[in-house]
Amino acid sequence: MPQEPYRDPVSLVRSVLGDLSRAAYGLLGHYADAEDAVQNGCCKLVMAWPRVAALATAGEQRAYLIRIVVNEALQILRDPYRRWEKLGADASGRAVLESSFEDEIQAKDDLRRVWMAISDMPDMRRDAVLLRAAGYEYRDIAARLGIKVSTVRSHISDARKQLSRTLPRGWEGAHQ
Amino acid sequence: MSKRISPDEHGDVLDWLYERGKRRAAEAPGFDADKLVSRATAARDAGSAGFWSVLNPTEREHFESAARMREFAPGTVLMREGAHAAEVMVIRDGWTKVVLDEDGQQRVIAERGPGDLIGESGTEPGNVRTASVIAAGTVRALVMTTSGYAAFIADHPGVPDLVKKQTHDRRTGRP
Repeated sequence: MPQEPYRDPVSLVRSVLGDLSRAAYGLLGHYADAEDAVQNGCCKLVMAWPRVAALATAGEQRAYLIRIVVNEALQILRDPYRRWEKLGADASGRAVLESSFEDEIQAKDDLRRVWMAISDMPDMRRDAVLLRAAGYEYRDIAARLGIKVSTVRSHISDARKQLSRTLPRGWEGAHQ
Repeated sequence: MSKRISPDEHGDVLDWLYERGKRRAAEAPGFDADKLVSRATAARDAGSAGFWSVLNPTEREHFESAARMREFAPGTVLMREGAHAAEVMVIRDGWTKVVLDEDGQQRVIAERGPGDLIGESGTEPGNVRTASVIAAGTVRALVMTTSGYAAFIADHPGVPDLVKKQTHDRRTGRP
């Protein structure tokens, strides 16, 4: 049975905050950036509250907010002046970049092209891909967005094809 | 060690991002829901984006005749959090930061620039500022008393709805 919609923004944010921070940090890997993405999402939620309050179920409201936040994270990732997107760096930035400087620059450029390509995807595919890139399993993406697992698979499969055209020579520069 | 993954093999860039996201998830920080929403509310109340652009020439003329143009040096506090709300302003040149005091630390929650109206949420009797507004550079603004603004809105009752619509459209693009 669908849960009744939330009556105020704080209750909604509180219920979904774990996902918001996980998704934002999974994509951005930086505390301040993740906080900005979540904060900007909350600002949009407050602005749009009359519309969000009118959604039929709590699940729809949660999906709305998660989608806003991952798209805010994408805006930050697309920023050409963002300095801390270091390939290979783990969550705390401990990893050492061992490749040559040229490889690193190339990989960084490739990754920005990937974010731009993701930005151009249709809305639901883009949102599914962003949650996947944040480390979510297919079934969890389906639950968060309120769609079927098979639909998630289809979106991710289409996205793979699209991204392989974006980086036709393959993906280089992943430092594991 | 650099590693190449061809799209024809088991992995690709999306798999790489997924693995990275999963690693990061274990260290995802916790945020404060009340704080996030109160900042968002203060940002919403800090002013209306694009106010000037929704006014027609007659309305602009009326606004200008009831206001006075002032210039603020960089760093000037145009409005102070917690202070009595006595004025509204339309920024004509320059940018301002909307900031909240959080345990002595300044937190920037929004920016307001040319054409934006600031301070309108304080026009209700007894209201105080929910955030401070600070000039980020030299700012020129049309300054009007809250009673003057109330009279302006009484003469042009359609303006608030137009401003609300414009602000909403700007801030809630997608999804």
